Amino acid sequence: MEFDRRGFLKIAGLTVLGLAAKPGWELFSKVEPQELVPSPETLAKKRWAMSVDLKKCWSIEGCRDCIDACHRIHNVPDLGTLKEEIKWVWTAPYENVFPEHELEYSEEDYRHQPVPLLCNHCDDPPCVRYCPTRATWKREDGIVMMDFHRCIGCRYCMAGCPYGSRSFNWRDPRPFIKKINLEFPTRTRGVVEKCNFCEERLSRDLLPACVEACKEKALAFGDLRDPESKVRKALQSKNVFQRQPELGTKPKVYYIL
Amino acid sequence: MVDRREKIIGEDRILFEQVWKTGKGFYITVSILGALVLLGLYAYVTQYRNGLTVTGLSRQIFWGVYITNFVFFIGISHAGTFISAVLRVLKAEWRRPISRLSELTTVFILMFGVGSVLIDLGRPDRMLYAIRYANFRSPLLWDVCSITMYLTVSSICLYLALIPDIALLRDLGGKREWFYRILSLGWTGMENQHRRLEKSINFMSILVIPVMITVHTVVSFVFAMTIQPLWHSAIFGPYFVVGAIFSGVASVIVVMAVLRKAYHLKNYIKPVHFNNIGIFLMAMTLLWFYFTFAENITIVYGNEPVHMAIFWSKLTGKFAPLFWLHFTLCFVIPLPILAVKKFRTIRGTVVASISIIIGMWLERFVIIVPTLTKQRMPVEGAFYIPTWVEWSILAGCISLFILLYTLFTKVFPIVPIWEIREGREKAITTVSQRIQSYLPEQDALDSKIS
Repeated sequence: MEFDRRGFLKIAGLTVLGLAAKPGWELFSKVEPQELVPSPETLAKKRWAMSVDLKKCWSIEGCRDCIDACHRIHNVPDLGTLKEEIKWVWTAPYENVFPEHELEYSEEDYRHQPVPLLCNHCDDPPCVRYCPTRATWKREDGIVMMDFHRCIGCRYCMAGCPYGSRSFNWRDPRPFIKKINLEFPTRTRGVVEKCNFCEERLSRDLLPACVEACKEKALAFGDLRDPESKVRKALQSKNVFQRQPELGTKPKVYYIL
Repeated sequence: MVDRREKIIGEDRILFEQVWKTGKGFYITVSILGALVLLGLYAYVTQYRNGLTVTGLSRQIFWGVYITNFVFFIGISHAGTFISAVLRVLKAEWRRPISRLSELTTVFILMFGVGSVLIDLGRPDRMLYAIRYANFRSPLLWDVCSITMYLTVSSICLYLALIPDIALLRDLGGKREWFYRILSLGWTGMENQHRRLEKSINFMSILVIPVMITVHTVVSFVFAMTIQPLWHSAIFGPYFVVGAIFSGVASVIVVMAVLRKAYHLKNYIKPVHFNNIGIFLMAMTLLWFYFTFAENITIVYGNEPVHMAIFWSKLTGKFAPLFWLHFTLCFVIPLPILAVKKFRTIRGTVVASISIIIGMWLERFVIIVPTLTKQRMPVEGAFYIPTWVEWSILAGCISLFILLYTLFTKVFPIVPIWEIREGREKAITTVSQRIQSYLPEQDALDSKIS
């Protein structure tokens, strides 16, 4: 075979290109360590849910115990602005959360009362469909999970969630965390985050932090498949509703009034 | 030698000169564009180092200028195919001088559509995760497939139609001969080569049309597949395709006018071309209005509160100035210009086109942003003012597009020389034969009478 300068350059060029392909691919899609998850069999037996007794919740005015507890243990930063706000649990006025309940001549006026909001851990979560990288998925026990190491930050899940449950890290959140909890990961900038029903606590047989923090016992949590669970007991009450059930997402956070 | 060169150049000297002659204007244009590209690059570096916090985006309004650019650029890319492939399939003879410039617009602007999404990512370093961990239930993956396909097919279309011209440049010799020799793939202009080229171009032209329609349909699906008010609409697929062809054809008119002036192509790109595309653009204006009307009247009559909240924010609320500006630019200004023959001149169509291009960018903006202000629940903190970073990146993208386009014209002729020659030498006979075939046959008539 003739091997002149041109031929050499051709082969050398192709070799370099070939060698660069693998590192290039790795560079833009590097595998990051996976977190441990419980086995599917143990999970499939349960279906976690939460109920919020609004009357009890409203008995202490301006209470933020559940929000603070959640944000503290999950390293949720306080950026101090509405623009880049990150929230896992938050409140909104009743009339905004349940506009369909508006009764013009209602006796009790709770339109401006704060309703605690969090990820609904839907049975049919739209966000899971939209995520292009499967960085968010539904576990067998119903918890909608979020892999901070796989999220590419396209924010399509935020567009897909009808409940506004997701927040995006517009900047590096670490300087804005008051005291870092070393037992829970912090996030990098450019990824989406949301409530995880305290799956890290459930695996240690602990209740979610917000439920534990609520002095009035307004929040009940448990397994919907267990008739004796606290949440099933709470759902016996007459006036139980969910946020926007008409969307067919089947939310697993119930409100009781 | 000189004789041979003269023979190759023939009457189309001006089309070759565009590649050879480089005047002062070229260097001035390139430096201005280069400066704007650097500004865009600086803005992106700023964003890469500090995160998306440097944009005006917020928790509520998390998509803005970048996603608008994505939809807008991909929309513009629909022109090339439309003009070159559709007119080729319809055997419209006047397409010849403008087919390449519209195909080139498609190929180049499409890259910026893809780029805009990547710029919008929070973690661009992980972008290939979308392939590695692909979730095909996500409309974003449909976009990835459709746009990749479109970019491939339209690049092939562009390249196929370039081959005979590359061979001409190769035959002329000179410093870059080796380059043209590789790209010309041994083209000699033999009859059988022409036949094969014709066949493949025709095949690709037919293939690219459905691909083009899928592209903007799935771009619209990114929005329509969500259950957000005013996005979740069945009309979005065709509405976006119509809007895409509308803005794309308008861009081609502007590109035509600029090239005509810059490269003295008065003899090739004539008022009749502007007139013909102008009539088509007028039809698109009316079609666009029809879709906009159909979309909005359905919402108003349905009167659902979640939809109406967004609807009124567009018509009378805080987005009203933008909404009515976009309506004026897309409909009120271009329609009379394009409808009256007296105004449908080169200048007239260019004014109408610029108006449409700006209007269509705004349309994408007022489709995307107002819905995010209150998705299904009124919220605090729904404000969005794009920052200098976002505007600089937009300016940088447009400048880089024009820069690439300009550099292309220094390497390849922008008017397809072989197609012009084919038109000059063969088309008149083929077309008159074709017209003959439309007419009732004389023999049959005669026999009937007798």
